[in-house]
Amino acid sequence: MGEWSSYSLSDFILFSADTYYRQFELYNQAVWPLHVVAVVFSLLIFYALWKRPAWAGRVISALLVVSWLWVAWAFLYERFYPIHVVADWYALGFVLQAGLIMRQGVIKNGLAELTNSSNRLSWGAGLLFIALVIYPFIAFVVGRYWKTFEMFALTPDPTVLATLAILLLYKSPTVLYVIPFLWVVISAVTLSIM
Amino acid sequence: MKNQYKLSRRRFLQAMGLGLAGGLVGLAPRFSQAGAGTLITKPIPSTNEHIPVIGLGSSRTFNVGSDPVGLDNVAEVMRHFFNAGGKLIDSSPMYGSSQPAIGYGLKKLAKTGDVFSADKVWTWDHEEGPEQMEQSRRYWRVDNFDLMQVHNLVAWEEHLKTLYRMKQDGKLRYAGITTSHGRRHAELEQVMKTQPLDFVQLSYNIIDREVEQRLLPIAQQRGIAVIVNRPFQRGDLIDELNGKPLPTWANTIGCTSWPQFLLKFVVSHPAVTCAIPATTQVAHVKENMMAGISPLPSKAMRGRMIDYVEKIL
Repeated sequence: MGEWSSYSLSDFILFSADTYYRQFELYNQAVWPLHVVAVVFSLLIFYALWKRPAWAGRVISALLVVSWLWVAWAFLYERFYPIHVVADWYALGFVLQAGLIMRQGVIKNGLAELTNSSNRLSWGAGLLFIALVIYPFIAFVVGRYWKTFEMFALTPDPTVLATLAILLLYKSPTVLYVIPFLWVVISAVTLSIM
Repeated sequence: MKNQYKLSRRRFLQAMGLGLAGGLVGLAPRFSQAGAGTLITKPIPSTNEHIPVIGLGSSRTFNVGSDPVGLDNVAEVMRHFFNAGGKLIDSSPMYGSSQPAIGYGLKKLAKTGDVFSADKVWTWDHEEGPEQMEQSRRYWRVDNFDLMQVHNLVAWEEHLKTLYRMKQDGKLRYAGITTSHGRRHAELEQVMKTQPLDFVQLSYNIIDREVEQRLLPIAQQRGIAVIVNRPFQRGDLIDELNGKPLPTWANTIGCTSWPQFLLKFVVSHPAVTCAIPATTQVAHVKENMMAGISPLPSKAMRGRMIDYVEKIL
């Protein structure tokens, strides 16, 4: 496997920005009206964080599990893998993260207590607002065709950002941060190279 | 009627003359779309089969997934490529959905029998090679590949054995090996010196000329055809040169744009058989194909081209 060292990151980004964003447009057309379900997910998360019922951590975790699994299959494997030969590994990573959240958040109720850190609360709340409310409008704001919009629970970046936000808001196990942080790096590199 | 007869007789004699000249210097007796010059072809040394010096790459540009708009655009680019006399199209399993996109275009244009199909085997597990090549063939919708290359020297010893067997069995016409970005040239040199290759593919352009020192002379000595990838440094060279003036003498070698200038430089090297620029745009493929029309720059002119580009960059 020493041959891998002879490759650079750009060797693996073998699609253009136009093709990349076109996948979002085609995906949004294909999954409509699941966007309504995604909005319901977002509202449930906001409600659970606002009212803080006893089931909040478990339900938010379950919503994240469903979101990570859906993104892994419907976007990363079905839509992204055909144009990006390593996206099947990304999909696998998302499935793994779904499993980790299921174990830590749903089964062990590991997201039961909000953090005491005001900094984390501020960062978490801000990031969550961006991921759930602002993100769908970014495509339009930056001048892309509006139908290439990205939504929490349907596409990777806002799903990962929302997850990181929720992890910041709760006293959460470190292991849950690993894959989201890796994705932030992968996504940033991809967007900068393509 | 008399004038028409005279004109057609004159054109006939011109065609005969060009055909004769073309046969002597390796130019196909074919009029270009612009009506001046002829389509330049070069021989594959192992068989003396001639192919046009401008081919078509598919890395990034043909990777459009299942997007129907993207697939139709690929087919349009291919249509203009074939209309301008193009033959060789190159792809790889590494290029995402480029192979099925090519297959879509070939079927739509009814060109599966006309294309010079060049693909690659790209897997570290050599036992997976035959299955991968068969999948690639199905994507392309061709009966057999003309050329199969070991991608970036990956597991090249075993894959080359497979390719030689396929040649013996009549399932493949040419075997080759590729590298890009100037990677692993020392190892490639050894492969070229010891293996009975028909083709080698490498990166070469007016700025990155390292291959002129060893690899291109070895290809000439050993009778290996050379396909050049990244003739524009993946577009960076054109980005840098855009806005800068072409030299006034560029028209003497038939160049009216920077892409043509860069391509003519590459394919005028005596060891180079063809270059494979990739594009998503019909206008660009038409422009690129004009670089495959005679004349080609002489050795002295090539030196002048280098000097000019190095001066303005």
